[in-house]
Amino acid sequence: MLRRIQYELSGHLVGPALLRAKEWRRRRSRRGLAPKAGPFGPPLESARKLKELMSLHYLQGRFADGAVPVAWVTSGFPVELLRPLGFFTLYPENHAAMCGVARTVPELSDAVEKEGYSRDLCSYARTDLGCVATGKTPAGRLPKPDLLACCTNICQTVLYWYKALARRFGVPLVLIDTPFVYGEAKPHHVAYVREQLEELVSVAERVSGRRVDPQEFVAVIARAKEGSRLWGECLATARSRPAPWTGFDGFFHMAPIVALRGSEACNAYYRLLLDELRDRVARGTGGIREERHRLLWDNLPMWFAVRELSTLFAEQGFNFVCTSYTNAWAEAGVLVDPADPYGSIARAYTHIILNQDLTNRLGILRRLARDYACDGAVLHSDRSCKPYSIGQVDLKDRLGEELGIRVLLLEADHNDPRAWAAEPGENRIAAFMESFG
Amino acid sequence: MTQTLSTDSRERAFPPAPSRRDSIHRQRDAHGRRSMAVLPIHYPKEILTALDILAVEVWGPPGPPRGEAAGRIQSYVCAVVRNALAFLASGGADAVDGVLFPHTCDSLQGLATQATDLGGWGKAAFVFQHPRGGERPSARRFALEELRSLARELEAWTGRSLSPELLAAAIRLHDEIDSCRASLLDGRARLPIGDPELYALLRRGEWLWPEEHLAELRSAVGRLGPEPAQTGLPLLVTGYVPEPMSLLATLNDAGAFVAADDYAAVGRRVVRRNGVADADPWTDLVSRHLAYPPCPTRGIDQAARMRHLVSLAEASGARGVLVHVQKFCEPELFDVPAILAAFTARGLPVLVLEGELERSLSGQAETRVEAFVELLRARGRAA
Repeated sequence: MLRRIQYELSGHLVGPALLRAKEWRRRRSRRGLAPKAGPFGPPLESARKLKELMSLHYLQGRFADGAVPVAWVTSGFPVELLRPLGFFTLYPENHAAMCGVARTVPELSDAVEKEGYSRDLCSYARTDLGCVATGKTPAGRLPKPDLLACCTNICQTVLYWYKALARRFGVPLVLIDTPFVYGEAKPHHVAYVREQLEELVSVAERVSGRRVDPQEFVAVIARAKEGSRLWGECLATARSRPAPWTGFDGFFHMAPIVALRGSEACNAYYRLLLDELRDRVARGTGGIREERHRLLWDNLPMWFAVRELSTLFAEQGFNFVCTSYTNAWAEAGVLVDPADPYGSIARAYTHIILNQDLTNRLGILRRLARDYACDGAVLHSDRSCKPYSIGQVDLKDRLGEELGIRVLLLEADHNDPRAWAAEPGENRIAAFMESFG
Repeated sequence: MTQTLSTDSRERAFPPAPSRRDSIHRQRDAHGRRSMAVLPIHYPKEILTALDILAVEVWGPPGPPRGEAAGRIQSYVCAVVRNALAFLASGGADAVDGVLFPHTCDSLQGLATQATDLGGWGKAAFVFQHPRGGERPSARRFALEELRSLARELEAWTGRSLSPELLAAAIRLHDEIDSCRASLLDGRARLPIGDPELYALLRRGEWLWPEEHLAELRSAVGRLGPEPAQTGLPLLVTGYVPEPMSLLATLNDAGAFVAADDYAAVGRRVVRRNGVADADPWTDLVSRHLAYPPCPTRGIDQAARMRHLVSLAEASGARGVLVHVQKFCEPELFDVPAILAAFTARGLPVLVLEGELERSLSGQAETRVEAFVELLRARGRAA
């Protein structure tokens, strides 16, 4: 009971008050200071709300275990089934990205490399397992899971990673195994995913001690679909010239659609963001001050170097107006249909970009480059993400030949700075930008 | 010093077998059989056999990738996949009529779409996806549908019809092959041949017509004696594929032998069913495929895999564990800490040896293997 009170207070009373006080102190300390000159446009006002929303989520998470059922969930998992059961959901990928931004990954990874985990493994996984092993996290504390929920539509890696978590925590692991799609999913592939969703419900109900309320389930699905639509509209504002924000902004603003999908807080946030972006479009305010070239980014960001890279590009008038990664969360929701909850979720979560063939991927990149009027692309060849990176050597050539745009293949890692050779990498970027004349 | 049989005597024990290419041509010329290159690891060979298709497995091949496509997959992807694309795209597999890509891992899945969608393989291509996460009602139904779906595609490709009788016969044949393989692996200590020869024999199953392979296996089973024939230190070896094969000679020469095998290419593909079969061949085929020993690529939980490995070690009397992994192979690498923990807790030393599908074992790796065996021997003496 005490735990539940702490959980509710942290989420609805104490947490918001603390965050408001923190923001007040920040503003006070900056009073009278002139805004920093730089290559970027005015910062998004919504960013403060984003920070508050995500901070509150992690703050509440500190008190979640013992108060409500806790699930650790992969980003591509159909979380809509867990929300009606009252689960607090933690996204280790999202949390690992936080660690990446905070540049704590080498230390966390070292801790599990000592246990025998290879440095060649996904840096998200090493980061998360490192947090578990050391208890160190920028969030203060992570709640222990009662359930591990894993879907292979983004990679098989998450399955190996979550199996390791299951061994460590000794809690049930539910798996949604999504067969890879060539063209369209075969009927028995979708049927398999649907059947697993039904199997999942019984485990999740047992863990949570509640039953899924069908009406609430449908309401969550409708909210998730709406959230996905709103996110898509936010991204689409970057078709304007200048784009009202940057693709790098998008990497941060995607946090709610990943971690809070299906909640009203998520949708409320994207309505706010969308209003602001549309307002910036109307006023001609760009994400960078002088947008001379428009680029497409493929694959995850390099979380530890987002600021440096975005500045490097922005200083030369290059703006990433679209990214295949953030776009993925806008596309899945289209297939969701509250009238056919299980069937449509099975279809939607099977047709994720990383669970489809390279013909489809090439089509998405081609479409994004055209719709957003890109004159160049950077394909991040990400050591940690094999499914996103295999094929990029050919995709680079195809995009260049078919669209007549300049394409750079940049080898790095999404979370481990030790895999990024900054000086040669920045030289390659400089040469790439010079090629635009 | 304890030693297993010398390399020379190992070489002479079995007559030379046809190469992959010879096997393809012989099966085509003598029996009109089509052949299919098959990527690792798990696939329904029974269906291929029943449809008169010769499976020729492609584990790499070893060595550096060659040809124009060598750089089309990044260097941080495992050598099995990088080499395979280079091999397929350079015409190395032109002797076969088609290719089958099992969806073993992210990298092989990526290879399947890259080679077929973006260039590298122009002949017939098929995919096979097995369920992950162990035995569940949904997994069983999916496996059945996926097997039937592949069979329909292969029927259309070959123009042959797959009757229940043909499938049942193929299952019986592969059950018998597995039974022989299990006898050889389980009775390893009583088999008077060296590891290089044993593994050469077992791995010929990767490209020989199954009946020819069975004849060889039966002959080898006939050589199992009542008493131990191996005097070296018994080891449990787990890993992806025994490449380079010279590792086995190094082990033997150092005075150890593989007493228990958990290679994905070998022991993890041996089904032990003790003759129990379902009357319906399709249901039986599903049961067979769900009965493989625990393999991380199939999403089996770590605890079950560790129990299996410990039981292998105990049954074989292994005195140490060699974890022989391929660099960048996520399914294998993610289990290494659990393996280390499981065997360290039981006082069994573990050596983790990482390779990249080299043609021969490096000097450093040889030294590490020799030092490991020496360590085990010293522990034995101290005990």
